[in-house]
Amino acid sequence: MAEEKKLSIDPATLEMIEKANSEGVSTAFARAEVMRPCPIGAEGSCCSNCAMGPCRVPLPRGRTETPEEKKKRRGVCGATVETIAARNFVRKIAAGTASHGDHGREVAKVFLEMARGEAPGFEIKDEQKLLQLALELGVNIGNRSNKEIAIDVGKILEADFSRQEGELVFLKRAPIKRQEIWKKLGVLPRGIDREVSEALHRTHMGCDQDYKDLLLHGAKTALADGWGGSMIATELQDIMFGTPAPVASQINLGVLKIDEVNIIVHGHEPYLAETLAVVAQMPEMIEYAKSNGAKGINLAGMCCTANEILMRHGVPIAGNFLQQELAVVTGAVEAMVVDVQCIMQGLVEAASCFHTKIITTDRRAKIEGATHMEFDEHHAVESAKAVIKAAIDNFPNRRQNVRIPDYKTDIIAGFSHETINYLLGGLFRASYRPLNDNIINGRIRGVAGVVGCNNARVTHDDVHVTLVKELIKNDVLVLETGCAAMACGKAGLLVPEAAALAGPGLRSVCEAVGIPPVLHLGACIDNSRILIAATAMVKDGGLGDDISDLPAAGVAPEWMSEKAVAIGQYFVSSGVYTIFGASWPTEGSKEVTDFLFKEMENLYGGMWGFETDPLKIAKMVIDHIDKKRKALGIDKARERVLYDMAMRRELEAV
Amino acid sequence: MVNKNKVEMKSAPGRDKVEVLGETFEPGKPEGEEMGKWRQKLESRQEKLKYLETGERYYYSKDWYGSEKRKNPA
Repeated sequence: MAEEKKLSIDPATLEMIEKANSEGVSTAFARAEVMRPCPIGAEGSCCSNCAMGPCRVPLPRGRTETPEEKKKRRGVCGATVETIAARNFVRKIAAGTASHGDHGREVAKVFLEMARGEAPGFEIKDEQKLLQLALELGVNIGNRSNKEIAIDVGKILEADFSRQEGELVFLKRAPIKRQEIWKKLGVLPRGIDREVSEALHRTHMGCDQDYKDLLLHGAKTALADGWGGSMIATELQDIMFGTPAPVASQINLGVLKIDEVNIIVHGHEPYLAETLAVVAQMPEMIEYAKSNGAKGINLAGMCCTANEILMRHGVPIAGNFLQQELAVVTGAVEAMVVDVQCIMQGLVEAASCFHTKIITTDRRAKIEGATHMEFDEHHAVESAKAVIKAAIDNFPNRRQNVRIPDYKTDIIAGFSHETINYLLGGLFRASYRPLNDNIINGRIRGVAGVVGCNNARVTHDDVHVTLVKELIKNDVLVLETGCAAMACGKAGLLVPEAAALAGPGLRSVCEAVGIPPVLHLGACIDNSRILIAATAMVKDGGLGDDISDLPAAGVAPEWMSEKAVAIGQYFVSSGVYTIFGASWPTEGSKEVTDFLFKEMENLYGGMWGFETDPLKIAKMVIDHIDKKRKALGIDKARERVLYDMAMRRELEAV
Repeated sequence: MVNKNKVEMKSAPGRDKVEVLGETFEPGKPEGEEMGKWRQKLESRQEKLKYLETGERYYYSKDWYGSEKRKNPA
């Protein structure tokens, strides 16, 4: 008999799954048991792009297909399985890029409103980041006010969404060699919306039917995410809410409080959550909570909105993606306040078994059965007060079936590029030099970005944690974002004490600098911070002259969303070997998969990989890092030679 | 001028003891909301621009040597 899949490695999650099952509450864990993934869709062999289909062209099961069978694997229009798999893949990239892009567009809109004085709840919190962007974008600083500068910066970045010709402004941040590669391949994105729009057009019935050409545009579209929408969102949020710096907090369902009004913010965009973090501390709101029988107001986060306010305020995190319904199952949540992306519709059904209010706040993400209280950035404080008041009013409605799992773990977050630079070099000569030096001398073997979601098809958090433990044990420094960082936070890997689990080299560096071996860089849009960190490593020198030269790799071992595919592709297009776990969406076509896994390395210096076993993933990452170390000539410790003057003269004479 | 920096005596090869600069960090752990925050150490606009020239020198300064601006070009 096959061994039953363990649902999670997190005890709080297991306790709440058991509570949900005993109380008859539907969760994603239970639904995943009943709803098996469609095998044809999973391998990318289903085309539903026109009404002559959907056409299903799956690989034969359990045997190799014959050439005759392969020829027959076509849709009604004649589209080959390669075209179908590539189109599906590119559409995922387009959806992911559109999601991050729309986030970035909203940030740019609120940023400009803030600069014009039309959004009084917001202000410029990081003048230095504003000045940095002004220098970069050629905006005159002089004696102008911050708001005047911000208007010019905001206008330039807002134009990146609708630009028809030219190229995105942040592409110039990349290493020069990388920019030349993009130019040669013709994948420099013009405007974010333009590339998404063209991706949808190309994948329409009867348009681009050359899988290599489709995937080339997929790469271009993804770059418009990483070096466009996501990067704009990160940078402008840093100016408005502050560039993250190390901050201590806690994570897991145990951060909920039995005697306080528990409000969970969930989603991805931080404006309302930022305001809630401030308003929840106002004496009048705390007084109102007390008048309703609570001892106070406890704000906690879920998913990437949580990461945003953790990174900047240290607001505790209740859990990652697969824990959202389980937070409701505690019976202790007065309101779950959601914005956009990764919000399960199942929340409303789960909430119907308890007193919890599911409050939608964004015009783009309403849920049937939820309470809609639209956030108005022009009256941010009033919007936040209304939401908190609704939660407080709900406190007396708590029922008897309240149980908060007694699990929470200490974490340190807030490792932006700027902060890593400062921590390594200090205020007077901030630098990545110590990192590069320690990679060159071998104390640090390499760097891995471990990012992405949770996926109900794999044991919750298990792949993330097992993989990361194996990587740090082998002296690989790990950079994390999103739900991956949360999984490792729950496992105690985001504190300096976790250096004890690292190999001797990485441990010595972490102890000297005072950092954890696993650094939390933020939400999923903040994967752009990893691009910047990788670029800084390149520019500092000694590790090649392109991102693809670095002893580094990326992994999304529990991915599930289309955004993850966009992120993966922009890392590949930027020169990073990127491995996905869980499932691979083009397995139906050997040609497309081979192109992504092998040929892309010849084009971009980075390529895709796929593996579900975390220890095998770790080996793939380490092997790749060792390959890059060898290419750089830093794979062996070399004897150090101290040159005297005679030797120097001899060298110069050559 | 009175030297406020802490000094330590260390043994050195070929010499008995030498005086070296001791630790410069403040004792104790930072507490409260400001814990870990460092950007407010730079107060004026000039200080911030100067920091960008050094800290982000790859983009904003001519004074750096790295993969794209080598002392001895390859």
